[in-house]
This record gives sequence, C-alpha cells and structure tokens, in this order.
Amino acid sequence: MKKDTEQIRKKKVLTYEKGELIIKQGDYGISIYKILSGRVKIFRTYDGVEVPLATLERGSIIGEMAFLNKDADVRSASARALEDSELEVWHPRDLVEKYAKTSIVLKIIIDQALSRLSRINRFMDQLAVKKREEVSQPKGKEDPWSSTREFYRKGVDIACQYKPAHGGKGSSAPLTGRIKDISMGGMCLEVLPRNESATSHEVGKTFHIDAVLPNGQDLNVTAEIVSVTKRPSAVRLGMKFKELPDYYGTKKTLGFFLMPT
Amino acid sequence: MHPALHSYIVGETTYSDGEVIIEEGSQGSWVYVILEGSAKVKKRTPKGMITIDILREGGVFGEMVFLEGGKSARSASIVAAEGQVRVGLLDTQKLIDDYEALPSELKTLIGSLMVKLRNTTSKVCSIITAK
Repeated sequence: MKKDTEQIRKKKVLTYEKGELIIKQGDYGISIYKILSGRVKIFRTYDGVEVPLATLERGSIIGEMAFLNKDADVRSASARALEDSELEVWHPRDLVEKYAKTSIVLKIIIDQALSRLSRINRFMDQLAVKKREEVSQPKGKEDPWSSTREFYRKGVDIACQYKPAHGGKGSSAPLTGRIKDISMGGMCLEVLPRNESATSHEVGKTFHIDAVLPNGQDLNVTAEIVSVTKRPSAVRLGMKFKELPDYYGTKKTLGFFLMPT
Repeated sequence: MHPALHSYIVGETTYSDGEVIIEEGSQGSWVYVILEGSAKVKKRTPKGMITIDILREGGVFGEMVFLEGGKSARSASIVAAEGQVRVGLLDTQKLIDDYEALPSELKTLIGSLMVKLRNTTSKVCSIITAK
C-alpha cells in the first residue's frame, strides 16, 4: 500500500482500520504521515518486548525521524492504528530537496536532537526489558545478575566515554566504548579495535570512565585494565575499579543501580 | 565541532563547575554550543534532580525552545560539569532567518520532533523516578 502511494507526489489520504500497522520498525521508508482522525500508537519492539512510546492523535506527525535523519532511512518505531484512522501521506521527494537547502547549522542542531531522541528511545527499551525481568523474577527465584562473586554482576549495555587517567601521548579527546558488565568491583568495557590507535589498552593502564547509568545517575570512575580479550570486531577490557570517590556518591549510586530489585 | 557552527558564535561565557547555565522552567530562547568542557542536562523530578544527558564539545543546547517558536519554558537545566565549561552563544537572528526560510511542512516536522523529544524525556524521567 505504501509503495503505491509513494508514486504519487501529492498528499494522499489513507484509511487504516483499528489494529492495522501503519509503519513497521526497521522498514525502509521516509514518507511522512499526518493524523487527520483517529488515534495511533507508537511503539518499539526490543528483545521481544513492546515498548510503548506515545499515543498520537489528530494533527500529530508520524515518520519525521526517518525523514530528517540523514544516516538512517529505516523506521525507528512502529505505528499502529488504535481505532479506525485517517492519515494524510506526504510524499517526501519535494521535501527532501527543500531540506537539502536548509542551513548547515540548523541541520546540525536537528541532527543532535534526533540522536538525543534515538538515545532516549533506546534507553526506554532497556527500561522496558528491565521491568520485564523484574516481573518475571519473583522473589526467591534465582536472580539473573547474581553470581558466585561477591556482588551482583549485571549484564548491561551502557554507552560510556573513557580516557587515559594520566594524560599521556596522543589526543586527550575521550574515546567511546560500551559497558557490558558491571559490578561493585569492576566492569567489562567493550571498545572498537580502532580505539587502539588513540591509546593502548594494556593490562595495568588506568582510565577515567564516564557514563550515565540506566537509573539516570552519573558514573565517574577510575579503573585499571586487568585483562584484555581481542576479537576482530571488538576489544573487551576487564577492568577493576581503582577509585570510587565517595564524594560523588559513586558507591551508593552503583550499589543502588546493582540492586536486584 | 563543525566550522559552520563557529561562524554563528556571537559571544562566549565561561562557567565553573556546578554553575547553572540554563534553569529548567525559565524563559529564554538563546541557543548555545559547548566550546570546551562538558555540561549535564538535568531534570527536576519529585525525587530530586536527575541527570538525563551529558553534553560535550560541539553539543548544542537550548534549541528546543527556539525550534518551538520561543514561547515554551526551558525543558531542562544545563549545569556545568567537570571544571570549567566554555560556552558559545549562537546568533539568534541568523538562526531565525534560517528557520524562517524553511517551508511550512519542514517547520511542522521539526516541531513534531521537538514535541516527541520533550514528551519522551518526561516519560523516561517519570519511569525512572516511579520506583
């Protein structure tokens, strides 16, 4: 249905029955929809969990993220009609040409807003999955984060920035990585092999790591590399926390974040 | 940072650690860019202030009010983090000229993006603090 309408350059009105999918997350498409009547649910699907993002009504726009995002033309979320709905479809071709002429600065600002929204949406995914785990793990059952170690180990995927703790050669611009596993004592940091060109990841090196935990708290720690596992796609650094400065309340933050409930 | 942003900078201010650059709920439509250092994006919640994002060099902030037509209140606070932060003020007139040059459909799309950003941010905050 969508394919056909994209051939037509003028605005076109489509009707969707209650329950019908209007946009599917991951599909290609940059058409824009404006709700003329009815209600539409916007949601993401992550790890089998449906993550509701919004319910939109008359006058709302759907699909602008994929249109404005120059790096991706796949749909970041799905849209489903909650009741019989009428939507106006805007053919994107004319708008693409017009948007190409927009000032660079305005586009930079919009790009940043887009990536911020994408990040928040992914964060919503994590929160939804966490909630599911809490619901499906009643008290008394084995906790997925506990291990034989002293503290809970928590499988996570948190974007972070890190830089050598003692300056050193090369640029001081922070590098990015992902925290894959975290406990009160240390963490597993996964970085891209190309980061090696900016800094060496040897056992014994210390780094400052800066991240925002899923509970919204900042994490600022210094950690020492205790193991390095190199794979073609990523380097995994086993790290032990050296300092958990208490004036940041880091211990409390981490402890709270790592609590199983 | 993109050189195009540099050409829009009309002023510079330095803030020290913890200083509030923008206060949530206040009025104002200036748009800023971080030239050096970093800043935290914080939101007020019933359980206190929470950090929702960290801005670094090249990071633009204050754009939401501007792109919504300058009428709404600041949706979050921006607080200087990790020592000093040097912040550039962007030329409002240039930004307005750029914005006004957009066709109305594009303005609608950008407005919609801002609404989603605002709503989703609030939603995340309420989920986090509901526990």
